Amino acid sequence: MLEVKDLTAKVAATGKEILKGVNLTVRNGEVHAIMGKNGSGKSTLSKVLVGHPDYEVTGGTAVFKGKNLFELEPEERSHAGLFLSFQSPIEVPGVSNVDFLRMACNARRKSLGQAELDPLEFYAYIVPKLEMLNMDPTFLNRNVNEGFSGGEKKRNEILQLAVLEADMAILDEIDSGLDIDALRDVAKAVNQLKSEETGVLMVTHYKRLLDYIKPDFVHIMQSGEIVKTGDMGLVDQLEAGGYATLSDREDS
Amino acid sequence: MQASIGGRCAPSVAGKRISTRVQNPYVRPASKSCRSAAVASAQTAPEDKWLARTVKEVPTPAGLATLRAESTAALATLRMPSTRNEDYRFTDITPVLRTNVQPAPAGAAVSKELVAKHALAGAVATVVVVDGVLRLELSSGLDALPGGVYVGPASGAPPAVVEKMGSLSRSRGGPFAVLNGALAPDCLVVSVGAGRELGPVHVLHLASAAPPAGDSAPASAPRSLVHLGPLSVGELVEEFVGLGPAADAGRYLTLGVTEVLLEQQAQMKHSYVQREATGAFHFKGTLVRQAERSQYSFVEAAVGGAIARHDLTIQQAGPETVTEMGHFLLCGPSQLHDLHSRLTLDHPHGTANQLHKCIVSHATGRGVFDGNVKVNQAAQKTDAGQLSRNLLLVPLATVNVKPNLQIIADDVKCTHGCAVSDLRDEELFYFRARGISAEAARQALVSSFGAEVVQRIGHPELVKRVREDVGRTLASVELFATATQA
Repeated sequence: MLEVKDLTAKVAATGKEILKGVNLTVRNGEVHAIMGKNGSGKSTLSKVLVGHPDYEVTGGTAVFKGKNLFELEPEERSHAGLFLSFQSPIEVPGVSNVDFLRMACNARRKSLGQAELDPLEFYAYIVPKLEMLNMDPTFLNRNVNEGFSGGEKKRNEILQLAVLEADMAILDEIDSGLDIDALRDVAKAVNQLKSEETGVLMVTHYKRLLDYIKPDFVHIMQSGEIVKTGDMGLVDQLEAGGYATLSDREDS
Repeated sequence: MQASIGGRCAPSVAGKRISTRVQNPYVRPASKSCRSAAVASAQTAPEDKWLARTVKEVPTPAGLATLRAESTAALATLRMPSTRNEDYRFTDITPVLRTNVQPAPAGAAVSKELVAKHALAGAVATVVVVDGVLRLELSSGLDALPGGVYVGPASGAPPAVVEKMGSLSRSRGGPFAVLNGALAPDCLVVSVGAGRELGPVHVLHLASAAPPAGDSAPASAPRSLVHLGPLSVGELVEEFVGLGPAADAGRYLTLGVTEVLLEQQAQMKHSYVQREATGAFHFKGTLVRQAERSQYSFVEAAVGGAIARHDLTIQQAGPETVTEMGHFLLCGPSQLHDLHSRLTLDHPHGTANQLHKCIVSHATGRGVFDGNVKVNQAAQKTDAGQLSRNLLLVPLATVNVKPNLQIIADDVKCTHGCAVSDLRDEELFYFRARGISAEAARQALVSSFGAEVVQRIGHPELVKRVREDVGRTLASVELFATATQA
């Protein structure tokens, strides 16, 4: 589904190179997790894949469902079925959540040649998704992320994932700032949304998320490269000894 | 009751440059030499020429005699401001002074259907004012008001309330407020007795723009007086609308004044929506006095007119008083919107919050904001916040913003901030990452920028009317087609 080869990227403003040759393949039905220290390039990788303007791709390729990602605008990547759950989603005062979700939903539907949903149809479409995430319907009438708690913002991101019915979800630290109940709700929703046809790429610092959403592959990222790939065993090793035990980069 | 409020504005601040506003600053005491801002040539000039042409004797209805006499006397020595006056430094009113204006002829034909098009569903009463004249035959709900409440012309209003007319504008009103006092054909009085509650009163100001004679433009001077007794609750929605197709840039002048007096623990919500025709000149004075523990919440949306200026002055005249202000101004092609707000806190434990938002969407548009919050010595434990956010969507778009706090008291919490920017890339990207095109995202973000304030109006159909006006202004300049991708 997603094949990243020798990807290098820098910060557009400063020219600082962050990604130094990332290789990663996610096939249909697979769940991948990326772990690594702060500043290792995990979040940059997620942002580069969805086309964040702060970063500039300097080399390598990323092919998503047969399309070259870097030839697509951010909105086209979304239409193609790629989704990023933001680490700290911004607040948009003045735009109600339901309007935002409907705009997003209809933009995707339009690109797929489907009829757009009117407000009533959309309401019927979204209510089950709210229930799945244990979210109150009053949530819809609030402005996008305005005054939301950390947990509410993350739930809202996953709600957007559910609404867009994306094929490939990149989840950038969806576990940060979540209490245990919120984490369980969010993880449950992600588990329901994934299927044999979808791919999931999680960026996280903590094992507890991976206890809820079991990854098939775990990658360790360091200084802009994936230095080690394994399964849950790698996570246990990390928990026990920290990143120092993995520093023998040559092994990977 | 205090008879004069003007005296308290005299600065007790050592070493601060604050003009002594015992009298109206634009009215030159006849015997004194003129203020330094005036040039020598004006010294010997008689009355202001534009005023001499503009001011006609108009009938004085019951209750307005004192106001009329005072205003007319003040006009004798008043000179219209120029950009040399600090208060009008960025607001050039030359186009107004070049226009030959005459009081609008009364009795312009307005159909009930037209009034219905501007309905406000939640209103308990709708007062229709056409060219400054109260039109009871077009108004509704006035005969079914609860006891202890009066809404109508000055002639039938409680005398104790009518007496207060002019008490705020006399000392704190600008030159256009003085002119209003000389020309106002009547005064709408809204009075809510002690402990009473009044639902939203919708005051619909319609400008027919019908020319009086020859090449002159019509001027109207609508005036309102609101009095909320102790522990009462009230809501006022003022909407100014220019009739006729918006494309027809008929010139006219609106000189509005609204005085609001809140007694102890009164609560008022006040919305002011300015949707004048594109060629209109609109000057509005809103003067508020809040007694102790009263709450005043003000929302403004200014989207119409060619030159529009709003002078909002609020005085916290008792402790534990709460003031909320929200403003949204949109400056499209050749539009100038000026907001001058003055909030004075004189008593302890006052709370104040102001959010000003301005969009300039065209190179010929200009926004002006001078927001003064003055926390005097006695106003200890004040909690005041002020934020001005300005969105310049095109090159050459201009704002002149001067949010300013003057703090004399030493035990207060005051914040203020000002930002001038284009749309934030982060916001734009968030939309695009969800599949929403950059163009649709810009549109949603620009309209949401103002919506944050406009939503506070609360009446869905009025919010919709404002949003439609905003949409039209933004569309007219093909903003999104030319938007830079920087």
